[in-house]
Amino acid sequence: MDNLIIEGTKQSPSVNFNAANGKLELSGRSIPENSFEFYNPLLEWLGEYAKAPKDETVLKVYLEYFNTSSSKYILEVLKKLKEVLKAEGVKVKVDWCYDEDDEEMMETGEDYEDVTGLEFDYHEIEE
Amino acid sequence: MAKRKPKENIYHKEKAYLQRAQDFIVSEGYQDVDATKTELTSIVENYEELLDQTVLITRISDRLQKKLDQTNNKLVSLNDQLNDKNEELQETIDNLLKAKVGRKATTYVFIFALVLFVFSEALIEPYIESYYANNIYLSLSVKALIAMSIKPLEMLVEDSLLKIARKQEMNRKAEEAKKQVDIEHKAE
Repeated sequence: MDNLIIEGTKQSPSVNFNAANGKLELSGRSIPENSFEFYNPLLEWLGEYAKAPKDETVLKVYLEYFNTSSSKYILEVLKKLKEVLKAEGVKVKVDWCYDEDDEEMMETGEDYEDVTGLEFDYHEIEE
Repeated sequence: MAKRKPKENIYHKEKAYLQRAQDFIVSEGYQDVDATKTELTSIVENYEELLDQTVLITRISDRLQKKLDQTNNKLVSLNDQLNDKNEELQETIDNLLKAKVGRKATTYVFIFALVLFVFSEALIEPYIESYYANNIYLSLSVKALIAMSIKPLEMLVEDSLLKIARKQEMNRKAEEAKKQVDIEHKAE
């Protein structure tokens, strides 16, 4: 399965989904003109990945800022990731990273954790 | 009227669920109890998912809005501080300019006073000696007049030089601003 790599811009985040080692990364700012157009390929990739996932899948999320429509799609991404758990013996984890003193982003991670039920690890990144 | 952008399809899944439920209501299956139960269960599940999503998104959106608000307030405060510093800087630049211009004016006036002194000794003094019987009071009055005119002359020269320097500074700033605008246009 091909990796999914999208370069970040001022409005959209960097995406680096590696099917070979199960390491997925989403970072930067997410305020795309069309969130559906940006995130749909990610959801499709995750749908394919869920059919044959690695033993451990780790999604690192390090977003500086995202708009409301992106927040919906981040939830969709996490729900798709949850589908990976349907395969036996696999582990899925989310590394939720946020800037120092960005309590709001940390709390947002906690909200996603509550709704999705996925295992979240929180990492404060010093500037 | 401005052209509206085509709407994003971010709720296509939810719209599909709704459409399915609407189609079911007008279908024959609606008469079937079991089919209706199944469909109702599906609708309730989808509604629950949508509600959870709405609660989450509203919470996140409010939090981000609060963050934006705080950042905006910080920016306003920083902008005010920057404006104050800018005013202080402008005052300092002005004072430096005045000092620089003052020194220049003093130099010009000194040279002019020297020339006047030489002129007075070389031409006026002999004239007074010849035509006014070496009238010492007249001679001293001429010298006093030259001496007293130095300060007003210095102030006049300083004002003129300051006006010229300020105009040059304004032209330089206008050119820099124009260059910046051109660079920004090229970047776009």
